[in-house]
Amino acid sequence: MKQVGRRVTGLTNTQLAAGKGTFVNDVVLPDMAFLAFLRSPYAHARIRSVDISAAMARPGVIKVLTGEDAYRDLRPIPEAWNTREIGAKGVLWYPIVKDRVRYVGEVVAAVVAEDRWTAAAALDDIEVDYEELPVVTDPIKAMEPGADLVEPAWGDNLLITRDWIAGDVDAALAGADRVVTGTVRSNRITGVSIEGRGCVAQWDAFARKLTFWESTQNPHPLRSFLAETLNMSENSIHVIQPHVGGGFGLKQPPFQEEPVVAHAAMVTGRPVKWIEERAENFMATGHSRDTRFEYTVGFNADGRVHGLRIKVIADVGAPTALLGWGQSFVTGYSLPGGYDIPDTNVQLYVVVTNKCPWNAYRGFGKDAQSFVMDRIMDHVARETGLDRTAIRYANFIRPDDFPHSQPSGAILDSGNYQGALDKLLKKIDYAGFRALQAQAAAEGRRIGLGLGQELTPEGCAMPGALMISAYDGATVRVAPSGEVTILTGVTSPGCGNETAFAQIAADVLGCKLETIRVIQGDTELCPYGLGNYSSRGTMYGGSATQLAAQDLRNKLAEVAASMLEAAPADLEAADGTFFVQGSPDRSVAFNAVVNQVYRHTFGKHAEGVEPGLESTRYFRMGNIYHQPETQGRFSNYPAWPFGSSAVVVEVDPQTGMVKVLEYTLVEDAGTVINPLLVDANLHGAITQGIGSAMYENISYDENGQLQTATLMDYTIPTAIEMPMFSIEHQETPSPFTPLGMKGAGESGLGSTLGALCGAIEDAFPELDLRITDLPLTPNRVWQSLRTAPRKDGSGFGPSPSATGAARPAVAGAVEAIR
Amino acid sequence: MITAELQFHRPGSVAEALELLARHGDDAKILGGGMSLVPTMTLGLARPEIVISLNHITELRVIAEDAAAGTLRIGGTARHNDVIASPLVARHAPLLADAARHIGDMQVRNRGTIGGSVAHADPAADYLPALVALDASVVVRSTRGERVIPAAEFFIDVMATALAPDELIAEIRVPSQGTARGAYRRLTRVEGSFAIVNAAALVRPAGSGASVVAIGGVAGAPVAVDASTAVSAGLTGSALAAFEDAVRAACPEPFEDLNGDAVYRREMAVIHARRALLAAAGRAAAGVTV
Amino acid sequence: MQTTIKLTVNGRARTVEVDSRMILADMLRDQLRLTGTHIGCGTGNCGACTVMLDGRTVKSCCVLAADADGADVLTVEGLYTSPDDLHPIQQAFIANQGLQCGYCTPGMILSAKQLLDANPDPTEDEIRHGISGNLCRCTGYHFIVESIQDAARVLRGEASAPSASITGLPASPATDVAG
Repeated sequence: MKQVGRRVTGLTNTQLAAGKGTFVNDVVLPDMAFLAFLRSPYAHARIRSVDISAAMARPGVIKVLTGEDAYRDLRPIPEAWNTREIGAKGVLWYPIVKDRVRYVGEVVAAVVAEDRWTAAAALDDIEVDYEELPVVTDPIKAMEPGADLVEPAWGDNLLITRDWIAGDVDAALAGADRVVTGTVRSNRITGVSIEGRGCVAQWDAFARKLTFWESTQNPHPLRSFLAETLNMSENSIHVIQPHVGGGFGLKQPPFQEEPVVAHAAMVTGRPVKWIEERAENFMATGHSRDTRFEYTVGFNADGRVHGLRIKVIADVGAPTALLGWGQSFVTGYSLPGGYDIPDTNVQLYVVVTNKCPWNAYRGFGKDAQSFVMDRIMDHVARETGLDRTAIRYANFIRPDDFPHSQPSGAILDSGNYQGALDKLLKKIDYAGFRALQAQAAAEGRRIGLGLGQELTPEGCAMPGALMISAYDGATVRVAPSGEVTILTGVTSPGCGNETAFAQIAADVLGCKLETIRVIQGDTELCPYGLGNYSSRGTMYGGSATQLAAQDLRNKLAEVAASMLEAAPADLEAADGTFFVQGSPDRSVAFNAVVNQVYRHTFGKHAEGVEPGLESTRYFRMGNIYHQPETQGRFSNYPAWPFGSSAVVVEVDPQTGMVKVLEYTLVEDAGTVINPLLVDANLHGAITQGIGSAMYENISYDENGQLQTATLMDYTIPTAIEMPMFSIEHQETPSPFTPLGMKGAGESGLGSTLGALCGAIEDAFPELDLRITDLPLTPNRVWQSLRTAPRKDGSGFGPSPSATGAARPAVAGAVEAIR
Repeated sequence: MITAELQFHRPGSVAEALELLARHGDDAKILGGGMSLVPTMTLGLARPEIVISLNHITELRVIAEDAAAGTLRIGGTARHNDVIASPLVARHAPLLADAARHIGDMQVRNRGTIGGSVAHADPAADYLPALVALDASVVVRSTRGERVIPAAEFFIDVMATALAPDELIAEIRVPSQGTARGAYRRLTRVEGSFAIVNAAALVRPAGSGASVVAIGGVAGAPVAVDASTAVSAGLTGSALAAFEDAVRAACPEPFEDLNGDAVYRREMAVIHARRALLAAAGRAAAGVTV
Repeated sequence: MQTTIKLTVNGRARTVEVDSRMILADMLRDQLRLTGTHIGCGTGNCGACTVMLDGRTVKSCCVLAADADGADVLTVEGLYTSPDDLHPIQQAFIANQGLQCGYCTPGMILSAKQLLDANPDPTEDEIRHGISGNLCRCTGYHFIVESIQDAARVLRGEASAPSASITGLPASPATDVAG
């Protein structure tokens, strides 16, 4: 049976459903000590002195590390995104700060103690003398001349600015029928894996070997980063990734905590464990998406856009070695989304502030790009009076226009955006919605439908970046008994790519799926690879698996052909059997062929065949252009999935409460290896998108104090807020991967944001309602509603008949108000 | 993680608990379900030296009726789900069960106690407006004796109550609703969160006392607004508007936080007070027993 | 302060010496090595630490271990004796892909058990309310809801035990170091 395309359940399911996974906090070593971090309580302050004497005197404290130690014994943390290479400013970031803290949560000291309680309690014993410095929290003010500076040596608060220009925007805007402007904002958010970060380090001074367990997405790059910061050889470090309780991008190194825990193990001679508290996760693991967009768009009466200027201002927090700020770059880089707008000018301003740095989070800036483009398309629809779908159809890149070059130099590989939207409209009966809306209105309920289109470039490769590249490796082995082991350089923090690899290998080898075991996340067992991000797991790991499996298939086919007295090219393999095409009775068992290779190496059938059944192969992606052309542009995303979604919401006009009633997504990430697991990923991505747009928000006060450091304040959706989802796939294969997959890990998220805004507006056809800011809190929606002018000029706010105010207070009716 | 050392006591009787409280007073914290206290300790916001658990005192978890007095007596450590499932609560104070159903989530309702919620006195806690609307009393005990404190006086400000350091909440005493009908409404961002604003209404038939709506989340303690006039006028336009104005006036300076500014909170107080009132009146008119 | 407690965990009587600051979740994990109970927030919000205490689900990060004296505790490990006799709810989660990273899963399964113990035929809405104390960041709850619906059918005797579309070898981290 062909496995690719089947809804195979995850290979880790049984173990995890039994509670028998091994997560990092389950790693327990003899004589293990515990580490806790002292973090800055100030957003910006000079450290005058650090006194650790009281902490050292506390019984059970083994070691206290400060900035003095880090600056003396460690090196700066290498950058995950090569900022200098693309003209951005950088900083030297040490694992422990010595002179100046730049955000609440930056590491100031670390305590190693016999137990977790003592380590945490001793943090209070450390006396740090801080001199508070001016705090930068508003990115707009931060760009003004004379603003206080996050990095005084920079001279301004701009990490990078970049203009991407295509065509002649001024001329296009001058020639357009209409020109409108707008400002929209996406909010500051974070990923909230239910398992936080954590690591365990063990140093063997005699073997000179560091073993490092971490809930990380990228074991091999982490090894390199650790080696560099610890100033030791890479082959002295063994990184092991246990089961990972969710990553979503936020478990990508390099963090301050990793080298500190490793160093602590080396200087104490004890295994050392650190497990992140939830509050630390909120203040130090990383934020994203906090972006303001100012746009000017020109268009004709037919809805065709002529000229688009977008200013992108991203508040990326303090500059560090984390790759998160790169999300703002990707937002600008991937504009104007899936639309063919020849005259486009994108101006990117990446602003630093005294807040937690951005770190990678699912969407990686593409979400913000999709959000602003959906808002612009809805704006044009409102101005032209045309249907929102008509504007999108009028401006989509056409299916026959691929490869398509964007203003940034990005080269879009393939796509069929019209096809996806066609499918979506049919699936939801778009035309029928108005009748449903009218019926709901008659019952006093306000429902609205919104549309979202997402363009989600995947498989990133950054010039000069070790961790971010478009290749990966896999080893496929067949044991003498015939069972197959796959080892990969990519990892799976719960996204299921291991199951896809087994399916791919089963089809190539013709073996039974249940004989395959997959091993990931160990730098001494697995081939070198870059781990999990940018939806690359199945795209690159799967393609490498296919290449390696094909090597073995070729070898086995040669042996089987000899056994069956047929030509290798005439053989097929399936379900553990090799057989002659068209003559299934002329067959030999997979294991019998393997047996020949191992036990009859010098027999008749394996004659001339290289011994062993193991192959390691690397897949190198196409459609990457790193040699910059005239504008200094380069193309670093090779695969461009697309998605089209529709959401139906109900809005309570009196409270601003929004309830998601239905969510439908048509997703096109190329070939789908495992529809079950892709759907599972999409459900999660949609939920994270809805969560971030409606319920979640990272908030700082004007002093740079984090106001949302618990799950009580940063509210992620529960099962009650979510509907069942309706998913359909369109498969426009990538021309650059052997099976055509494009990567679906981030898909589904970007289209939620604009769709929700559009749905709220759609619920009030009588209003000129403009939803511009996320998140869509009840307070904000209510405020927008009451200040929105009525189109008939009769005042502001929803028409009274819709507010429920005029409802009769009779017994039967009142209960329905619930 | 709780970093401060603590002494833990699990007394088996109220008398034993009161002795401990008398001895340790200010240094001690009473542990009910722990839904608020334990996370507060984990976050380092509370660092009691002594914790006295009431979870091993069976007499405190009893729900009983005092038929003669026409009151319901709910032990301080009755779990929220005890309250929700109790036939006695359903008979005498269904409004309270209505509110309890909205508390947190299943695990919180399984473990959290009514006494704990009342003692913690979060201004948006679900029980608080219901207790005020029902004219309930908090029965507190110490070695000095017993005090019966009306709910309206018990809740003083944000997480501040009339409970003295050596007292524990032995019982919540609720006058039977009788023929009065109640309804509870709340506004929240996600299920399980504390309410932004909540309101409990109790509508009494003509001649059997005042109708009232108590509102939480707008001030340090629940705000009660008399609705008798509006109810007797049939909850029609002008009487209802007057009631809404009274609610507005009762919330002069609502809280502001990340979930709502003052203007929004005040208007939501009005909306939820009205909705609770209309629902309760609807039940009264329909003769619904809930 | 150390204190000795006696309790029953997964049917087995235990006597444990605990620090009075210790939460029940830590005691189960660190002292009894029942690491299926996970900790995600420490403040009673995420529900990853859900266990059953005297037959009712609780968040074990909000229960002091010392307060569990005399209690009857059920953790995810108490739902089965071997990989071949997993609880029908666990089987349903496996067969319906009601999990991804697996971190929230043990708590989610215990909440599902609490729900189905009390309500064998819940509506979708009742299921969603039943698990609202358990946050999942991977699945969007869709397949979890379907898993619980499937488990309910099996437990009501309307369907035979769910079976995964394949039973593969577990993909695993290369080294298990659960001490």
